[in-house]
Amino acid sequence: MNDLSQASASAFHLLLSGNSEIWEIISLSFGVSFSAILIATPFALLIAFVLAFFKFPFRRALISLFNTFMSVPAVIIGLSLYLILSRSGPLGDLRLLFTSKAMIIGQIMLSFPLLVAMAHASFQAADRRAWETAITLGARPFRALFTLMYEVRFGLIAAVVAGFGRVVAEIGCSMMVGGNILHSTRNIPTAIALETSKGEFAQGIALGMVLLVLSLGLNAGVSIFQGKGDLHT
Amino acid sequence: MNHLIEYRNIVISLSGKLILNVNQLAVPSHRCTLLTGKNGSGKTTLFKIMSGLLKPHSCSIHYQGLDLSWKQAKHFIQKDIIYLHQQPYLFDASVVDNIAYGLYRAGENKTNAHKKVIQALEWADLSHLAHRSAKQLSGGEKQRVALTRARILSPRLLLLDEPTASMDTDAKKQTSLLLQRLKAEGISIIVSSHEAQTIEEIADHHFHLEQGDIIKAPAKSNKITKLNLAKKMQ
Ligand SMILES: Nc1ncnc2c1ncn2[C@@H]1O[C@H](COP(=O)(O)OP(=O)(O)OP(=O)(O)O)[C@@H](O)[C@H]1O
Ligand SMILES: [Mg+2]
Repeated sequence: MNDLSQASASAFHLLLSGNSEIWEIISLSFGVSFSAILIATPFALLIAFVLAFFKFPFRRALISLFNTFMSVPAVIIGLSLYLILSRSGPLGDLRLLFTSKAMIIGQIMLSFPLLVAMAHASFQAADRRAWETAITLGARPFRALFTLMYEVRFGLIAAVVAGFGRVVAEIGCSMMVGGNILHSTRNIPTAIALETSKGEFAQGIALGMVLLVLSLGLNAGVSIFQGKGDLHT
Repeated sequence: MNHLIEYRNIVISLSGKLILNVNQLAVPSHRCTLLTGKNGSGKTTLFKIMSGLLKPHSCSIHYQGLDLSWKQAKHFIQKDIIYLHQQPYLFDASVVDNIAYGLYRAGENKTNAHKKVIQALEWADLSHLAHRSAKQLSGGEKQRVALTRARILSPRLLLLDEPTASMDTDAKKQTSLLLQRLKAEGISIIVSSHEAQTIEEIADHHFHLEQGDIIKAPAKSNKITKLNLAKKMQ
């Protein structure tokens, strides 16, 4: 017990004293996850919109496929990506394994189905009249899409926030394709795992607190934004 | 009589059911036309095809001296014809922003758009609602905002889907007054209704849509223009 409180105290000290290693890990975590979500979101929204607003063969199958992919464990995605990026793999020549780029790719794959599924639900709940009204008032389809996105913005923001929440806390994929290398691919979850296994609880707890606050904040954000959307329907 | 636009051979079926099979529909220009038909007779469907929002199985269009397929005409009719929903949709923004929406899409700059919106609000006697959030308006207020939002674009043709359905007598009178003023501005109008009364006084023509294959002239009116009707599948 004494150990724990001592470790917690030094955890606070580490965070507040601006320990450079810890803040480097935190900023890497954010950098990788922000990039992944930033890249994944536009494509995911477009696909979600098409799935919600157009009828074409295999549409339903595609929707359930994305819903199913949502539950693929991160390690499985990490494993597949590892095999693809490793020296003898099909994309081995790109030399991406154990780089932060590989982590970004992994997190894109991880967040994509979630983004599509949640955005699809928002678009589907959207009022068809919003689209028709935009068009009849002279909006070109691309502009009408933005109008529609604005109308369902709370649901879409909730999707993005949930996507970020999923990738920033995942460990399996980052560990496998990033390799947990200090100064280059060590992010919050992989650092926590490492420090804990070494018995260095202070750093683990400090990073754990950051992640916990972040996750709670993001989750609160998701429910606030989802609730806001409901007010207008 | 002058025609603004003529549609021929409009055919559409939805979920395997033939909804419309209209031989010919010529829209009188600068006139207000009443379109009646029972619930489910296809009034809304017809309007959406006419305004370029819903793709029919077949339909050819004679517009501005050109013979076009629906697909070729789509761009023009989306620009010149505005459809107003039975329950109009207002964007999640202020009344002013709602009314300015189409102006911005037409490339109007902010200062001009604002000027026009202020005038339009006065025209429709809606100035007191200018900065209200559109989502919080009453049904009748929404209807008038939507009408103003359409009028400001000076469309050639306005398709109004049962504008008076959920209105009390006063609001109906107000709307029919607005319609008269729109007509005076040279905008052609078609108003749909499943009951003929309210608009009848200001309507110059009367089309009746019936799901069988007969054109039925409602007994009251003698100004019926023949409009063809959905034929049965077999
Ligand atoms: N997306 C759709 N899929 C299948 N059937 C449809 C669809 N939309 C409309 N219908 C059917 O087409 C017919 C015509 O509908 P429409 O809405 O055009 O009628 P309406 O004359 O506007 O009726 P109302 O007076 O109730 O507004 C109805 O039988 C309706 O059930
Ligand atoms: Mg209708």
